Amino acid sequence: MPAIQDISTFHAVRETGLNKLVPPVPRVAIGMGTCGRGNGAEGLYHAFAEAIDRTGADVQLTGVGCFGACSEEPLVNIRLPGRALVVLRRAQANDAERILHDISMGQITPDLAYCRVDEWDHITAHVKYGPGYPELPSWNEVPFFKGQKKIVLRNCGFINPDDIEESIAVGGYEALYKVLIDGRPEIVIEQIKASKLRGRGGAGYLTGNKWEFLAKAKADQKYIICNADEGDPGAYMNRNEIESDPHSLLEGMIIGGYVMGATEGIIYVRAEYPLAVHRLKRAIEQATEYGMLGENILGRGFRFNIELVEGAGAFVCGEETALIASLEGQAGRPRPRPPFPAQKGLWGKPTNINNVETWYNIAPIVTKGPAWFTETGSAKSSGTKVFSLVGKVQNTGLVEMPLGTPLKNFIYDIGEGGVNGRTIKAVQTGGPSGGCIPQDMFDTPVDYESLGQLGSIMGSGGMVVMDEDNCMVDVARYFIEFTRSESCGKCVPCRVGLNQALRILNGFTEGTGPVDRLDVLDELSRMIRDCSLCGLGQTAPNPVLTTMRHFRHEFEDHVVAQRCRAGVCEELALSPCENSCPLHMNIPRFLQLYKEGRMEDAFEAVIMDNPLPSSTGRVCQHPCDNRCRRQTVDEAVNMREVHRLIADSILTSDRYEEMVGRIVARRFPPTGYKIAIAGAGPTGLTAAFYLAMLGHEVTVFDAKSEAGGMLRFALPDYRLPKSVLRREVELIERVGVQFVFNTRVGFDVPLNELDERFDAVFISIGTWKDSWVYLPGTELKGVHTALHVLESVAKKEEMPLGRRVAIIGGGNAAIDSARTALRRGSEVLILYRRERNDMPAIEEETEAAQQEGAKIEFLVAPHRIIGDAQGNVKAIEVVKTRLGEYDSSGRRKPVPTGEIRRFECDNVILAVGESFDLDFARASGLQMKESGTIEVDRFTLETSRSTFYAGGDVITGASNVSNAMGYGKKAARNIDERLMGVHRWTQLFPEFDYDQTPPEQPVESRRHTGHHVPVGARARSFDEVVLGLTAEEAHEEACRCLRCDIKSVNAG
Amino acid sequence: MPAQNTVAHDLPDAAARAFMDQVIAKRGKRPGSLLGILEAVQEHDGHKHLSLGALRYVAERTHVPLARIYSVATFYSLFNLQPQGDNTICICRGTACHTRGSRKLLESLRLELGLNDAGHLGEADKLSVTTPDGKFTIRTVACFGQCALAPVAEVNHRICGHVNERTLEREVQALEREHR
Repeated sequence: MPAIQDISTFHAVRETGLNKLVPPVPRVAIGMGTCGRGNGAEGLYHAFAEAIDRTGADVQLTGVGCFGACSEEPLVNIRLPGRALVVLRRAQANDAERILHDISMGQITPDLAYCRVDEWDHITAHVKYGPGYPELPSWNEVPFFKGQKKIVLRNCGFINPDDIEESIAVGGYEALYKVLIDGRPEIVIEQIKASKLRGRGGAGYLTGNKWEFLAKAKADQKYIICNADEGDPGAYMNRNEIESDPHSLLEGMIIGGYVMGATEGIIYVRAEYPLAVHRLKRAIEQATEYGMLGENILGRGFRFNIELVEGAGAFVCGEETALIASLEGQAGRPRPRPPFPAQKGLWGKPTNINNVETWYNIAPIVTKGPAWFTETGSAKSSGTKVFSLVGKVQNTGLVEMPLGTPLKNFIYDIGEGGVNGRTIKAVQTGGPSGGCIPQDMFDTPVDYESLGQLGSIMGSGGMVVMDEDNCMVDVARYFIEFTRSESCGKCVPCRVGLNQALRILNGFTEGTGPVDRLDVLDELSRMIRDCSLCGLGQTAPNPVLTTMRHFRHEFEDHVVAQRCRAGVCEELALSPCENSCPLHMNIPRFLQLYKEGRMEDAFEAVIMDNPLPSSTGRVCQHPCDNRCRRQTVDEAVNMREVHRLIADSILTSDRYEEMVGRIVARRFPPTGYKIAIAGAGPTGLTAAFYLAMLGHEVTVFDAKSEAGGMLRFALPDYRLPKSVLRREVELIERVGVQFVFNTRVGFDVPLNELDERFDAVFISIGTWKDSWVYLPGTELKGVHTALHVLESVAKKEEMPLGRRVAIIGGGNAAIDSARTALRRGSEVLILYRRERNDMPAIEEETEAAQQEGAKIEFLVAPHRIIGDAQGNVKAIEVVKTRLGEYDSSGRRKPVPTGEIRRFECDNVILAVGESFDLDFARASGLQMKESGTIEVDRFTLETSRSTFYAGGDVITGASNVSNAMGYGKKAARNIDERLMGVHRWTQLFPEFDYDQTPPEQPVESRRHTGHHVPVGARARSFDEVVLGLTAEEAHEEACRCLRCDIKSVNAG
Repeated sequence: MPAQNTVAHDLPDAAARAFMDQVIAKRGKRPGSLLGILEAVQEHDGHKHLSLGALRYVAERTHVPLARIYSVATFYSLFNLQPQGDNTICICRGTACHTRGSRKLLESLRLELGLNDAGHLGEADKLSVTTPDGKFTIRTVACFGQCALAPVAEVNHRICGHVNERTLEREVQALEREHR
């Protein structure tokens, strides 16, 4: 191909290109970016090539770049002549044959179809692919693409990046031609200035101004450089841009060269991107061949060359003066500015450096004008930006959005929220120079200024989503580890400061950092930020400063309590299960003891860790499962069922007496201190057990007639037989705890009186007050609250529920009421305003309720309850809801639609939450939080009143049994330490010798679960529904444990 | 002190010298060509590294002081001053991979290959250690730009996405079988 020298040849090339892009035969284009290849695109391509070869099908096969939906790769786009382009997703090599078969029938393989594209605005040209496939969503109707505007990525995934003719077909090099014909460089600079385009590398400097500096500089030689040293971990948009559409980058640079009066261009690209390097080389060759580079470009007398230089793996070379040093063949160390590169750059000559993505915006601005460009984005940040949305989010990939779009649109709309239902905690923007933005600030618009206000930066566009399993202290440490080793070492604040910062952070993650280091780290970070020579050091402390600002509590957890809730900092935990257990039970130990057949030891280990082991063995929400490492092999170990079996086999056997004796014998000698506990629920019972074991005289007051709280009076018998609970309470009594029933603290016995009679008071009452919905009709006969129903049933009181019951709510109380009503012979309908996976109830419970016959209506909110002439409930009306915007809990808010539906019923149960009556606490001077709970010191559980402690629901709001017990345990430890003035806690616990060899190579095995009584036999009975494991099953479960508690073993 | 800061003493053989002459002749005239020369020399080396002998030879032929060449060779993480193993497994330590557990992967791989004491943990993001038998080198990279496949490992230049301790273990076992 001779170089293009005139417009008619240019148009002819465009026609040739268009004929390849929209050929008269079917075209199959495979996404062959690095991410496509990583998911098997090459095998897919070969499978297609082979099948086409074999069948002789008249199909054009080609490779294209990436369309952005990386989590759906490999993507294939298919176009039948005259019809819309269809994108297929997750196509595998063995799909090739049937895809081709479907094509030969004029069809698209339905199960692989992702979306269609009828026409596409390539910005510098417009291509109509064709109509058809109304059954498929248009590309921008798919959640991942909704709201995206592809200016930079205008050609990615459509054209063959190795073919300049396809690039020209979609308008490539037309802007260049226009600029060369117009011959008015100053007008182009005005256009770029008017577009308010800002540098896409991170700092956001106005590109037009930068260009003007270089254009005005007088020199015999000027350079322009494309910074493609994309070193930010977590950001890869430049890689994809180059791999998918290299010519648009070249075009931007050639225009830049012409406008700024430079003849030499250099692209400095990371060596870690071999495919990008390969495609750029090919593009430069082709552009030279076609007359877009070299002498007399497009016959307009302009000379320009582009050279490709590969970096050698140094993050600091992204800094422009370091990059220049690297190009000059030296170690990439930055130098102070001024002089700026525009004055004195490469080889001392005026130089302009722009980021890859900045160059991609040039041709569209030239073609469409600055007014068009500023229509997109916000006032100060115009245009779009490509972000790499990665980390703990469902849909990952490259997303091009208008600047100013709120963060939550990225995370929840495009990303569709967390992975496996995990709660998203933060998003990290801007890589090692940026910061972490907490979930409650996701309303923030993504633009240069707004991110800056939160202490973060836009950077090159990395967005790494973090969830509850990520530790923010570890994230800060990770970034400092990175910048410390990437520091070039030239200036002291960065080289020495980051080293010290890392040492401090290591101390935090290992639990050795003294509390005062928090302030030292803060001061040190500010010093590094203010005193470093270049951008690397100046921004390196941002991850620390932002995490300390937005996640201070996590730092305090590490430093004060040596706890890492996320379970990332291994030195702070025995094992992932222990760490996620609110009671911090030594789970691997009881599994091992059981495995060794030492039932008594296992029981002692269990009960000393958890004084209600049989009850929790049945009703705990088992957070231990979530982080069990066995999941990497098959499924989590069923730890809860094993400890239930251990507890049951002692509590209900003749060995009980002997074991009680063994526990009582562990009790410390009397201390003489008297402690009062308000509330005999799980929190109070736990605190009482430990405080009694520690030798104190403990009295528990409760308004009810028996101990157990919610376990006794709210949990139905079919989940927790009361005989089990009674044995546990008996043991607690036997270690010396005294109970005073039918006595309400704050009413029957004032707090002041407790203060006089006792050395310490622990408040742990439960949430016994039902929340109420204010609806017309709640005054009718037959409207109840869930707790009232459950308590009445638990007390075996008369509780008629009628023939048809409607239950409002989606939590455990709603499900418990439903299953109770079913057992009373009622038909049950649950009305919930969100969707199934939003229900707070335990999943297995909801399932069981449905098996037993409960119906659930989702997306409905109560409207009114209708009564008959006698004032009895007759029906309920609900309003259909739809899910709207995401709220601060990361769930979509239900919005009423106005559509009313009516259900006949004779009873209504309100299960919409629980609260408490804490007026007595407020009245006696305890400081309260806005949420109505008691204010305590997070670490000691002390209230604002001396010697008064509080824990459980009263400080958190309604929670679950193991959380509640965790507070009881923590309170006991702190109360004892305060009263005695010494740390005695650890001496309370028995030690056992048991096998410490890690298990052999695990073999996949099934997780055993408790046995459900068949629906037919259980649906009308209050007998226990889930029976425990057999001894063999429990043994197998114990053998499945990977023993994460065994550390520092050299297996190699 | 990390192993990579010491330099192996070996003199390049005639073939290697001829190759270096050729590379220098082709690139050496242009300023700023040092990085490219070193990259080519390393790529040509059987153990993908720059020996002290090679560095000396390049210095002599390009008239660039050895001190400067050494400063360049030690500055960039791409250059190896130690011979690399027959197999290279590179763990990505990018942010997305980190949030999905790449540090643990690295630790288990080091344990698997008996390299858990080699190199400081603090160096984890710029690690390059080789087994004494020269069979395996474990490296880390700041980011492969494959974040959507996190966590990512590269096994002999083949990208493996969504790896876990088990799949990585299988990769190592497969390589061990191949080389037996």
